[in-house]
Amino acid sequence: MTRVGRIGTEATAAARSFLRRRTAVFFTFFFPVILVVIFGALVRTQPTGGGLFAEPAGYYIPGYLAVVVLFTPLSRVGSEIARHRDGGRFEKLATTPLSRAEWLLAHTLVNVAIIGAASLLIFGLVLAVTDAEPVVSPALAVLPVFVAVGVALFCGLGAVLGALTDSQDGVIAASNTVALPLLFLSETFVSPDLLPAWFRPAVAASPLTYFARGTRAIVHEPGAWVGDLAVLSALAVAFLAVGAYAVPRTD
Amino acid sequence: MNETAAASASAVDEAEAEGADGARAPALVGEGVRRSYGDVVALDGVDLRVEAGEVFGLIGPNGAGKTTLVRALTGTTDAEGDLRVFGVPPREVDPQRVGLLPQSFDPPERLTATELVEYYGGLYDDARGVESVLRDVGMADDADAWYETLSGGQQRRTCVATAIVNDPDLLFLDEPTTGIDPAGRRSIHRLIERLADGGTTVFLTSHAMDEVERLADRVALLRDGAVVAVGPPDELIAEHGGAPRLDVTLDGPASDGLVERVDERVAASLAGDADAESTREGLRVRGVRPETIGDAVDALDAAGVAFESLAWSEPSLEDVYLRLTGEEYSPREGRAIPSEETPAAPDGGDAPDGGGR
Repeated sequence: MTRVGRIGTEATAAARSFLRRRTAVFFTFFFPVILVVIFGALVRTQPTGGGLFAEPAGYYIPGYLAVVVLFTPLSRVGSEIARHRDGGRFEKLATTPLSRAEWLLAHTLVNVAIIGAASLLIFGLVLAVTDAEPVVSPALAVLPVFVAVGVALFCGLGAVLGALTDSQDGVIAASNTVALPLLFLSETFVSPDLLPAWFRPAVAASPLTYFARGTRAIVHEPGAWVGDLAVLSALAVAFLAVGAYAVPRTD
Repeated sequence: MNETAAASASAVDEAEAEGADGARAPALVGEGVRRSYGDVVALDGVDLRVEAGEVFGLIGPNGAGKTTLVRALTGTTDAEGDLRVFGVPPREVDPQRVGLLPQSFDPPERLTATELVEYYGGLYDDARGVESVLRDVGMADDADAWYETLSGGQQRRTCVATAIVNDPDLLFLDEPTTGIDPAGRRSIHRLIERLADGGTTVFLTSHAMDEVERLADRVALLRDGAVVAVGPPDELIAEHGGAPRLDVTLDGPASDGLVERVDERVAASLAGDADAESTREGLRVRGVRPETIGDAVDALDAAGVAFESLAWSEPSLEDVYLRLTGEEYSPREGRAIPSEETPAAPDGGDAPDGGGR
């Protein structure tokens, strides 16, 4: 079996397992829907006012996408590692030809597919229930690339969290602790001018910032996105490498 | 997940080559294998050698180190000492050649038995047909049911299927028949026998002594992380199993001095090589051979013993286990306690796996 074949086998099993957990599927898609409905349709943006949600609706499209790009891989990969460890699956896989990197790549592919679908749903919902008017340009074709690279990055981080924590409960708590500040301090829902001046440089330390900047440059304020994609890609490779190393192979 | 298998192919070939005396290289060798979890010593200098094609049984109490030893031999835990699988360190062995059923194993629960075997088979270069594997473990009729809907025994049989799907040369089965009904156990036993007949080396751990006695060519008994006895089951039984015995279920509580009276009578009637002791159900007379059963019954009558039933049995691997682990039953304490022949096994506690060490 080739490397591609093993990754395909692992990805197929992972996808089947996920799709047959109906509640997991439902809430994976329902969570971002709730967010869009609450903040996009109920709270609504106030372009003429101040404070949160004071930007035009289109400004927040990267934020809505970031919710699934960030939260879902962190919790899914972390939980999957905890589930594998608890069930002795890594012990079993350690005696097969599947490597840790192949395992993580397979689960990253599954997450890219799931979160790609969720992102499409969010994008459609944002257009349907908010006043957002995304910029239509050839660059829009790069949006799925941003989503895929972002998902890969946070799959790597999810693997690290899964390896560091010792239970599924711990993974969820850790991923929420990491994801929540990242979500709100990465130019997604909170614009930089709302943050203290001394804190603004720290925003650049968040990988999600490059996702938000790049996707916003595509859908809301046309601008350069190549640099953001390059940084995001480099970080994704690094996080995947560290994540693959972190995937357990022993007790 | 194996990282270095490809690099080991030539080393495996070399190790498999016959020696100058024409003997095949052993499948497994461990010398001075040690593993500790904090202050708990799980393996304390284990030495063992398993020949290719052998069914090797590993027995021992909970916490003796059986699962840790399996993990050390499969490279899924770090252990000190010299470990060789087909001549190379465990993590360098070609994964195609090894199959593993971990003691505690829960595969993805919403895949069918067929899908699970397909999944694990799909990770190897060469795998057996799914239907044939499921037939081997008696799961052909329930192949399309989700794993989580199967009974415990069916789940375990499905797990066994995932361990043999790559047609391994060396198969680790860590308590393969746990939770399986008698018919299912027999099908697993037949499977192991067929695999062994085909040349597969089987490393079997189990708490079912009858299973190990029936299947294993040689048995090692692990206690407190060390091998305390190793050999063919019949040799271990002859050496450590004790004498044939007659178990007597009394018709009421034992009267004072009954054991002593019986002991005197049987010693006189059975040429002095028999003795009596009390058990939970009544009495046990050791040293009763088939031709002296009548004499033993006469001795019981003479001692005034009223009994409900008698059961004669030869010593078994279970007797060896109980004697060498110091867990022989003592009715006076109402629990299993160390025998006088062996030191008590200190409570090592459970290892981090939550089951055996």
